[in-house]
Amino acid sequence: MSAIKLEHLVKRFGAFTALKTMDLSITDGEFMALLGPSGCGKSTTMNIIAGMETPTEGRILFGDRDMTGVPMGRRGVGFVFQNFAIFTHMTVRRNLDYGLRMTGRPTAEIARRTNAMAELLGLTALLDRPAQGLSVNILQRLAIGRSAVMEPAIFLLDEPLSNVDAAFRAVMRTELKSLQRQFRQTMVYVTHDQLEAMTMADRIAVMDHGVLQQVGTPLEVYNTPANTFVARFIGSPGMNLFTGKLTQTDAGLAVDLGPLGISPPLAPATASAAKRANGDVVYGFRPEEVTLAQPGEPALALPLNLTERIGARTILHLGTPQAEVRAVFQSGTAIPAGILRLAPAPAAVRLFDAGSGAALQVA
Amino acid sequence: MTIAEVQPLSKLKPARDDGARLGFRLTLPAQLLVLFIAVFPLLMQLYISLTDWSPLSGASWPQAWQFWNSFANYSDLISDNRLWSALGRTLFIIAICVPIEFLLGLGLATLFVDDFPGKRVAYSILIAPMMVVPAVAGYMFFMLFQSGGPVNDILSWFTPDPVAIAWLSDRHLALVAVMVTDIWQWTPLMFLILLAGLVGVPSDQLKAAALLGASPWQRFRTIVIPRMKTIIIIALAIRVIECFKIFDTLFIMTGGGPGVATETISVYIYKVTTNDLIWGYVAAIALAILIVLSIGAVWAMKRLAR
Repeated sequence: MSAIKLEHLVKRFGAFTALKTMDLSITDGEFMALLGPSGCGKSTTMNIIAGMETPTEGRILFGDRDMTGVPMGRRGVGFVFQNFAIFTHMTVRRNLDYGLRMTGRPTAEIARRTNAMAELLGLTALLDRPAQGLSVNILQRLAIGRSAVMEPAIFLLDEPLSNVDAAFRAVMRTELKSLQRQFRQTMVYVTHDQLEAMTMADRIAVMDHGVLQQVGTPLEVYNTPANTFVARFIGSPGMNLFTGKLTQTDAGLAVDLGPLGISPPLAPATASAAKRANGDVVYGFRPEEVTLAQPGEPALALPLNLTERIGARTILHLGTPQAEVRAVFQSGTAIPAGILRLAPAPAAVRLFDAGSGAALQVA
Repeated sequence: MTIAEVQPLSKLKPARDDGARLGFRLTLPAQLLVLFIAVFPLLMQLYISLTDWSPLSGASWPQAWQFWNSFANYSDLISDNRLWSALGRTLFIIAICVPIEFLLGLGLATLFVDDFPGKRVAYSILIAPMMVVPAVAGYMFFMLFQSGGPVNDILSWFTPDPVAIAWLSDRHLALVAVMVTDIWQWTPLMFLILLAGLVGVPSDQLKAAALLGASPWQRFRTIVIPRMKTIIIIALAIRVIECFKIFDTLFIMTGGGPGVATETISVYIYKVTTNDLIWGYVAAIALAILIVLSIGAVWAMKRLAR
């Protein structure tokens, strides 16, 4: 069994708390991404799973087995380091078969498995080259192959693509995903790059300041962020969020956004969720989910400050420096100059409690 | 306008060449001085080694040709049993002391890679022997190994009768005492050099090896030792060369005695120089050792480079 269960994990380094009561279940064969900004505790979580760190409190289970006290060499996990940690004083072959040799497998088996892995990763021609001086892209494959050849049931990757170039990163994203489909390992993937997490992971665990913020499929995390942090962190650019007061208008319940004016009326479902708010709310909508309002349609009137054209899409920066709104349109859209009237799609509006930042769930 | 433009074409040379030649000319005086310092004593030694000259002969050394004896000194050298046994003894001391110093230093360095309470104090105490002037260390151990000295006192705690071993007057024990002193004084140097090497072993590679299932000993053998190879060679080379010249502590403790029981190459040369005053012969010994050592060093370097 290679499901992973983290129970009430706490990790403190002296006075600093890196991880605050983390609970997470990763099912067998799942690709789980730990996503968050630097210092959010994702690498600490990973190191605890691998056994490089001991948790201050809590337990780690692989299947039903408690692994908390098991030393790292006996956990049978594959681990790919951010800087690859390739043994540069050995050849490519010696790197690939290191684990097999150290665990005393028969020579014939070592050769067979090493050659198969080299074939799979396109390293066959390089097997007898010294690992020193190979390109980063090759080292990256070697690092993955060195762990994969051990056929671990659990594979941990610590920001494996952050040191390789952008073109190769795109290739590796698809390759890693197909490798995982092939071997059906449980994969835990630490990254600060949401694109990697969104494209590869079955589920994403978003973390911040040592606290698990939300666990869900990429679309769940994108569509129904659990709180304002996830809303802002996921998406490029992140969600537009403005604090305001609920007000009753002629057309229904809306949010008074102060200097930005009064929002278009809320959709009925959102309005019923809004009733659960105590006090102010945060009004949020995705930059991609806005339209230019027709005359007479309720909208936010905002001055256009800057237009970023990035090929297929155009990103508009609107509003005031204190309350900046971003909107994304297809590049073909005609953008008028001056004041733009922007209408967030009513169903796409998300409300959060202004005090706690938690989402006000649509029932 | 550059200089090249005003020069005739035939005299044009690549600028780099000019620079190199100018550099050579400018450093020539310094190079000659260094050459003189290095080569002159060798030539002087070679000259004297072919004569029976001694400072008591009344002539100054340039007149040593008056005592010309061709290669008699070198043929004496081959049949000089005392020289050969001194050489053997020196090699024996190297063969025992350097490996012990290496293993002790490596063991201590391994301990000091990780943090433990009182590490800084322990570190200072550990490297202190290296700071002691060898002559002082010699006197310290001379007193420690006296028959009424602390070494025997400590041994007496474990035996029913008081121990009164005459360490420095016994042929075998004197050699042991001398080697203990050398190990005490020079293990810290090994420790320091090897610690620097150990700290330089990348910790993520050790972690990667551990995660791939390598035991601590396998990690040590496959990651630590290959990574430290250069440093280990340097540490061993320094100690072998230094140990070959062992003199100060040893001379103060035993003076090469009892008899010739602890007489090393350095002590033998010293005695021939100051007591027997046959300088032509000393020069021959020194030159022969230099040649043999140089050949040995070149051979060792070539082997290691492979």
